[in-house]
Amino acid sequence: MSLRLKLLLLGLATLILPWGGCQYAREMESALREGEQSSLQAVSQTIAASLQGRTDLLYREALAPPDAPEAPAVPVPPGADPVRAFLNPGPYDLKPLALTAAPLLDGYPDDWPHDPSAWAYFGEDDRHRFGILTGVYERMLYVLLEVRDEHPLFDAAGTNTLDPATFGDRVWLGFEDSGGEQHQVFLAATGPGSVTARRIETGEYGQQNAPIEPRIHGAWQLTGHGYRIELRVPMSMLGNGFGVLVDDRDARGVDPVSYGTLGSDDLHTLGRLIVAAPELASYLTQFMQPGLKLAVTTPSGRVLARADALAQVSGLGSDPPILARLYRRFVDRPGAQPLLESPAPIYDRDHRTLIGRLEVTQTATGWIRLRDHALMRMLNFTLSTSAVAVTAMFAFAAWLAVRLSRLRRASESALTRSGLVTSFPETDSRDELGDVARSFSTLLQRLNEYTSYLRTLAGKLAHEIRTPLTIVRSSLDNLESEQVPASARAYLTRARQGSERLSAILIAMGAATRVEEAIGSAERVSFDLVAVLESAVAAYRGAFPGRGFRAELPPGPLDLSGAPDLIVQMLDKLIDNAVDFSPPGALITVRLRVDPQVAAIEVENPGPPLPELLPGRLFESLWQSRTGTDSQPHFGLGLYIVRLIAEFHGGEASAANLTDGSGVRVSVRIPR
Amino acid sequence: MKRLIAIVEDEPAIRDNYAAAFTREGYAVRTYSNRAQAISAFAARLPDLAIIDISLEEEPEGGFELCRRLRALSAELPIIFLTARDSELDAVSGLRLGADDFLTKDLSLPHLLARVNALFRRVDALRRPETPGEIMRRGPLTLDTERMQAQWDARVVLLSLTEFWIVHALARHPGHVRNRQQLMDAANVVLDDNTITSHVKRIRRKFQSIDPEFDAVQTVYGMGYRWVE
Repeated sequence: MSLRLKLLLLGLATLILPWGGCQYAREMESALREGEQSSLQAVSQTIAASLQGRTDLLYREALAPPDAPEAPAVPVPPGADPVRAFLNPGPYDLKPLALTAAPLLDGYPDDWPHDPSAWAYFGEDDRHRFGILTGVYERMLYVLLEVRDEHPLFDAAGTNTLDPATFGDRVWLGFEDSGGEQHQVFLAATGPGSVTARRIETGEYGQQNAPIEPRIHGAWQLTGHGYRIELRVPMSMLGNGFGVLVDDRDARGVDPVSYGTLGSDDLHTLGRLIVAAPELASYLTQFMQPGLKLAVTTPSGRVLARADALAQVSGLGSDPPILARLYRRFVDRPGAQPLLESPAPIYDRDHRTLIGRLEVTQTATGWIRLRDHALMRMLNFTLSTSAVAVTAMFAFAAWLAVRLSRLRRASESALTRSGLVTSFPETDSRDELGDVARSFSTLLQRLNEYTSYLRTLAGKLAHEIRTPLTIVRSSLDNLESEQVPASARAYLTRARQGSERLSAILIAMGAATRVEEAIGSAERVSFDLVAVLESAVAAYRGAFPGRGFRAELPPGPLDLSGAPDLIVQMLDKLIDNAVDFSPPGALITVRLRVDPQVAAIEVENPGPPLPELLPGRLFESLWQSRTGTDSQPHFGLGLYIVRLIAEFHGGEASAANLTDGSGVRVSVRIPR
Repeated sequence: MKRLIAIVEDEPAIRDNYAAAFTREGYAVRTYSNRAQAISAFAARLPDLAIIDISLEEEPEGGFELCRRLRALSAELPIIFLTARDSELDAVSGLRLGADDFLTKDLSLPHLLARVNALFRRVDALRRPETPGEIMRRGPLTLDTERMQAQWDARVVLLSLTEFWIVHALARHPGHVRNRQQLMDAANVVLDDNTITSHVKRIRRKFQSIDPEFDAVQTVYGMGYRWVE
């Protein structure tokens, strides 16, 4: 894995930041939710406590005036306990819905809530029967009456409403006012449409009339099974008792079939209207704030009053941005409720009996938006941080990799080329890489010093040995002139031979130095390489009678710029090498291959293959792997001299085994 | 009167060996181990020939300085550098200072004696200008083997003794290739190939300084050199 990839992966680890942010947002959300929940609980408990015992608000129960006697004179039977009576409704009690909007008084039920369980049904039999649905909205009681009548009959038109002969189907409403007094009004219509209640008044002289009660009005419509009446009654007129009586006539003037929730004799109310005081709703409204819904219900769960501001949430934006929706996908837990609910019981004054419940609902939208906002900012921030970090790390890694590979290339080339390393990259950097480069540079410097010391060692040694050798030789020369007994002559001869060999060794040791000097003073001339090689190969035939020589040279002249003396000297070394490593009688091939750019001099000899080594080591100074036992001194300088001369001509030397393994080919490629 | 040879050499064993050899040959020998000694002695009496080492005791280049002083005292005095140093640079420097020859110490004593004798012959020949020596002519080249003097187009080419002997070996049989060993034998030296090459190079340069067209010494690659007319 490359350094670049590693650091890229490391950079990706910064993605843990947004992940952690999401986790934190979740934690924050549940903490917020918990906090909200408990504060909501406190709110609901406070409101519930403020409603404790307020049956006047909840059930429009008349409060005993403060100055009333503590204990009523007549003991109240247990069943007459007003609260209990409300809590245990009688068969004729009506339980109005808490409407969320005022129904249009048109005689059609479309704008009423569709709630079959809220209907109450009364009647004699299947043919005489009505359903009633009541509801309260803003201090008004709305009544929807669905009467089953096979023969719906309107009053005769344009007649006295008090004349029994004109009576058609009529509907009586009976109710108690807040003072407990019974009132009755009736509804009579001469045709479908708007209808207004009338009440019966008995005048001072016993005469009866039926003035309009304008506060109670509605609409009368025929249906397939009978008729429907939609009514509105101000709650201010109403006390506890409330009932409806239907007078069903099949013909005008006949005695009606009366049924309903009013006493058929004096039309007193049999049942009650179990409904909260209108003040309850305004009482709840004072606690309202956007996103909150308050509802007071009976213990059984029917809504008495509510105040709803769920929809009015102060928004931070109409639609959450796409990014926020995407983020939310990571954060939202499935099944998390967007609403907080906190019910609280409402007790009676003695804190014994449950008289109702308060349900407080709060929308979570507010703080979800808040969270989304925070989350989005945080995610935007952390993601861009990650992106910057990854980019920076990648760039850093790339830069590092470039520096490292520069360093590697420099050290490799410094190792393969034994020239002095004058400039090493990165040594000016102040970081650890710079340290590495510096120590590398120092190391290579030392290596170079050592190598050049080794290279010059032979020359220095030759120089140092020359003086004692001169002492020996001059002494021997002098000894020749003395009277040496014949028996000692042999020793003298051997000493001379030994000193001559030492001398040859000295010359060989200094060879590289002298070649370097010759290169230093060499002059470039233009010469014909083919002619030089031809001449040289001819000379080798004479010099090495034990080997055969074959010259594979191109026919024409090949002009090259360089030092022909050095080329020949290089060839000498190559031939020396080939002769040394080939068996007697072997055929040594000298070949010149000419490319448009390069002239390659190749010397092939049969013989043992090259040892396994680093390529190029062969051409280093003082390197030798020769195990020969010939008398010629060898210091591994021959191929080094070849390299020096090749490099002087801008070329390079290389050695390889022949493909069939029968020998070795050394080639020197010189650019033309 | 015996000819006086001065040997300036800081290595006593070599000094004494050379002194013994020259004495045996019938020369008078004075030996000095440093420049100061030699200078003061030369001020009193000039030797007939001086053999000088380059590095003398504390002075690594003391021999060069001594050669300069000696040449200032006498233009004809034969001076031979005999040194353990064999670098091309040293040889060029020494010969430029007017030394007649530059030899490395692994030269054998007989070879050294041959040179010394040759140099004395040359001195003698120069002192007798009216008697022509043994003259060899090869086209524009004239070699006086007595005076060891070479002329090209009647102009003197200043050659060191080794160079003269190499030219002589080549010019004696024009067209014949002389390999390096043959040239070494002729010049009474044991040298390696590169030194021969640089000698030949120097010879060419000296002739070319007189005649830029000089091309008589030809390289036969792999074999040696030959003189072409």
